[in-house]
Amino acid sequence: MSSIAAASTASRLAPALADGIAVCMREDPRVFVWGEDVRIGVMGPTRGLADEFGPERVIDCPISEAAFVGAAIGAAVGGLRPVVDIMFSSFTYVAFDQLVNQAGRLRYMTGGQVTLPLVVVGSAGAAGANAAQHSELPSALFLQAGGLRVVFPSTPHQAFWLMRAAIRSDDPVVVLHHPALGSIRGTVEPEAVSLGDAVVTPIGTGVSLIASGLMAHRARAVAQALVGEGLSIEVVDVCSLNPMPWETILASVEKTGRAVVVDEGRLTCSVASEIAAGIGERAFQMLRAPVRRLAVPDVPIPFAPGLEAAVIPSEEEIAAATREIARA
Amino acid sequence: MMIRIRLFEESLADLYRRGLLVGVVHLSVGQEATAVGVCSALRRGDQITSTHRGHHHMLARGLDPQRMFAEILGRAGGYCGGKGGSMHVSAPAEGAVGANGIVGGGIPHAVGLAFAAKQLGRDAVAVAFFGDGAANQGVLYESLNLAALWQAPVLFVCENNGYTEFTPTDAVTSGESIAARAASFGLPGCAVDGDDVAEVHEAARQAIEQARSGGGPSFLESRTHRWRGHHEGEESYARPYREPVESQDPIDRLERTLSDAGFEAKTLRELLEGEEKALVEHALTAAQAEPEPPIHRAFEDVFV
Repeated sequence: MSSIAAASTASRLAPALADGIAVCMREDPRVFVWGEDVRIGVMGPTRGLADEFGPERVIDCPISEAAFVGAAIGAAVGGLRPVVDIMFSSFTYVAFDQLVNQAGRLRYMTGGQVTLPLVVVGSAGAAGANAAQHSELPSALFLQAGGLRVVFPSTPHQAFWLMRAAIRSDDPVVVLHHPALGSIRGTVEPEAVSLGDAVVTPIGTGVSLIASGLMAHRARAVAQALVGEGLSIEVVDVCSLNPMPWETILASVEKTGRAVVVDEGRLTCSVASEIAAGIGERAFQMLRAPVRRLAVPDVPIPFAPGLEAAVIPSEEEIAAATREIARA
Repeated sequence: MMIRIRLFEESLADLYRRGLLVGVVHLSVGQEATAVGVCSALRRGDQITSTHRGHHHMLARGLDPQRMFAEILGRAGGYCGGKGGSMHVSAPAEGAVGANGIVGGGIPHAVGLAFAAKQLGRDAVAVAFFGDGAANQGVLYESLNLAALWQAPVLFVCENNGYTEFTPTDAVTSGESIAARAASFGLPGCAVDGDDVAEVHEAARQAIEQARSGGGPSFLESRTHRWRGHHEGEESYARPYREPVESQDPIDRLERTLSDAGFEAKTLRELLEGEEKALVEHALTAAQAEPEPPIHRAFEDVFV
């Protein structure tokens, strides 16, 4: 394990994703990378890979999402382990038949005859004034689609290990990365993060703050700030959405009896809704307050920076909701 | 093989009439020559992707009629354990990655399969079967472009049966020919008489040989005729189609060709019909006797 961790000296999230791909490409010649502008690695996760692995394994594609996701399905059935960088995860909407009807269904429909070891990586969430078609967090759509594993790392450590786990998985995995976290700092530690894991930090007993991606960072900042008010907050960073780390989530809620779920997706049928419902069903007896959801209201992400900030849960809103639930 | 396909499909039509089939079936009666002409040019290790109307491709690829029937009847012994059905028969181990319920859905898979074969140093090709309906899907053109860029060993076979579901193809398809569209991507493309099995085979053989020897992808439009409706049981709302012409029957045509060449074609046909009838009937009876899948299978195979 330590020799693998040593393979990533990345101190920022996007390079850690690239390192996660690189270690897999080194140990397995069946791993290929393709997508839009992957050689220059415009989005980060593939930057530098072409230098080491050459244009034969790091392949720039036409802007044909359906075809290159579909080709990844065929290639996976045929014995490769493709990693497709789709740039913005909302570009998957162009390839939704391939991702949902095909990648998410074919193993089931063939009665388990095919395995689909492929990864689709894309940025997810608002980076600042990109407007609705480049700023959404479609994680709930992927969960509802079914047949897809989904991870959303928030730190370089999670990014490296979850990318590696995604590529080594025999299931199709969607790897989401937040564009505002590409240069977030942190080190890759030797303890692996696997599909189905959540990361709990800091440890607290008063309220469980449950979040992913950028919202996990805001949740951690709020937890720090509220220490001064005498609140003991536990942040559950749900970096794997499918499998959902129910055990960790429920263990936290059973301890605190109070939960605030923060989500950068739209509220209706959101990941926050799913987690809140799961807590309600499985840990109702332990709850001392209603479960609170904080998510984007049912509007697209607006362009103007002030409007964008207004629809995404802020630290102030998370703190206010947490205080309220702590005292409820 | 064309006779086997015909009998297989006719027995499904009969089952449907008698209310013994669940779901929707799209039959390939009249289109046998495309499937047989192309698949007879393939080898073990090659792969095909197919369509909602794909029984003929699967049988021509050599799949077992009993396991085909079992799948279409939703039985445990079907290729997909009864989880795919008529539109989704799949047998990757036998060189048929799968039929596909989405028009055009399987086309990019063939590009990926061909790319994988090339990268893994396998001497294999992929064939994407699709209909004239898929000729108007964007993913076809994306796939042609990608295949050309990657020089993937793939043959695109457009089986033009004259109808896009219920609508005459020429009413919804612009340009002079579908085959001509391939030229824009630098792919060799040709149109063949899809009711002449020898002509289909010769064109497919050349294209597959070219792909296998590193010559890249090509495109074949096989102009054929669909003798039945879009799907069985559509009589209550489907409008009448153009009447098929007897002379277009690919089995009759092969018989005439062989007869003209001096063979005892009629006798041979009768002999084969007898053999295949027994085989297909036995396959159907055996499949009907199979159990339905156990309920726990509904909850399996989502993930590895």
